[in-house]
Amino acid sequence: MAETPVMDRLIRRTVEQHLPLNVHFDLTYRCNERCVHCYLDHEDYGEVTTAEVKAVLDQLAAVGTLFLTFSGGEIFLRKDFFELLEYARQLHFDVSLKTNALLVTAERATRLRALGVRRIQISIYSADPVVHDAITKVRGSFERSLRAIRFLKTQGLQVKIACPLMKQNLTAFRSVQQLAEELGVPYILDLTITPKIDGDMTLLALRNTGHDLLPVLQDPVLNPRVKGGQEVMQSVPAVGSAVSSGLESSAYDDIPCSAGHNSCYISPYGDVYPCVQMPMPTGNLRQQRFEEVWYGSGEMRRVQSVRESQLPVCSTCSIRQYCERCPGLAQMEGGDLLGAYERACELAELNARLAGVEHPVSALHQQQRAAKFNGTFSAVLPGTGSIPGLVRIAPMRAT
Amino acid sequence: MTEPRLVHNPLLAWRAIEGEVVIISPEDSVVHELNATASFVWMQANGERTPEEIAVLLAAEYEVAPEEALADTRELVAHLEAKRLLLSSPAAEGSRHG
Repeated sequence: MAETPVMDRLIRRTVEQHLPLNVHFDLTYRCNERCVHCYLDHEDYGEVTTAEVKAVLDQLAAVGTLFLTFSGGEIFLRKDFFELLEYARQLHFDVSLKTNALLVTAERATRLRALGVRRIQISIYSADPVVHDAITKVRGSFERSLRAIRFLKTQGLQVKIACPLMKQNLTAFRSVQQLAEELGVPYILDLTITPKIDGDMTLLALRNTGHDLLPVLQDPVLNPRVKGGQEVMQSVPAVGSAVSSGLESSAYDDIPCSAGHNSCYISPYGDVYPCVQMPMPTGNLRQQRFEEVWYGSGEMRRVQSVRESQLPVCSTCSIRQYCERCPGLAQMEGGDLLGAYERACELAELNARLAGVEHPVSALHQQQRAAKFNGTFSAVLPGTGSIPGLVRIAPMRAT
Repeated sequence: MTEPRLVHNPLLAWRAIEGEVVIISPEDSVVHELNATASFVWMQANGERTPEEIAVLLAAEYEVAPEEALADTRELVAHLEAKRLLLSSPAAEGSRHG
């Protein structure tokens, strides 16, 4: 949604008052695709029941949640999905869905329209069915998702294509762009491949290197700041996070993101996290009411207390404006909610270079170089701390 | 002839946040924000009250003259009906869900 004065006020008010404006609720981790990059365990270990979901929705409505995203897993695998959706709409939530759409029929599209769903995000990995189906591991999934998009468009629903870019489909980004234009829908290319939600890092091997991403980062249509570029005809950037709500505001300027401030995530087991990319348990809605977790959890308060200006490394970084640091990934990949992590620094340096900054180096890399330099120099000249030239080097922090 | 009852357009998403109502139209993603008095009127539009009945409540809540409350309510209702945020209940019956 485009930034407007009304939205900006709403976001500012909810950040300042710490109101959970935006909630991402995964109704199931079960799925009818087996995407190679998926961070979830698709076994069902006892999902929240229909009654439990409704009770949570009652609580969310009471504390002021307006934006509700139902996601998964695949939401249409829940037999009670439409019952839950109808209940959510009776409580006046603004509902968005994330789905692979394999189970969306013309009839279901009509029901979604009648129930007032505002937006539906569908993952498409390539305009080439072979590439798409190889990622989902379901033959025919491309054609089925595409057919569903047309059903939804026919109903006048807002559809958005999300395309996570990994090694398997890097070169597909232009075809996805073209497909989205043909379908008349917005799209987002997501460069983020995350660790599994249980902390397993093996999926990171699917990430493209910074060098490999250069064609994406240099594309003038996708990146208007690239010299010679043109304004993107969309309300949101075409490269970004498909997890993000897309709500932008200056209220977020000194906080890492909305997670824990005015948004959070609920798992199919009732666990509450600040964000799906910050799987830090803060409470469980089978044992506690939502407001107890939101207002009472020590972990949630810890996340809320973080300010960008106080990040030990990143606050000193000269190329911070080019960085898309995610605090959840800082925790998962670097082990420190407040820390810098390699992937963000690598992409920030690339973005800065493309924007015309000469020899950009992130604060993390400066410190690593300084430490290496110190170490090497120390080996040659013990006691280098007394050498005037080295005193200027910033002290190394553990990151 | 009795005045129609006012009801929210059932396709809208809305929430009263800290006493002020925010409304979103799913068709165009337009966000509307009501001030405190308009939010009061909105909260009374439950399909059972006419603008006159709401104006009486408004006058009592904000301690304003009844005629002033009625004029303000009618102006606001006309504005919200023009934007299809509020509907008159006979028209709303057919499209209501849930």
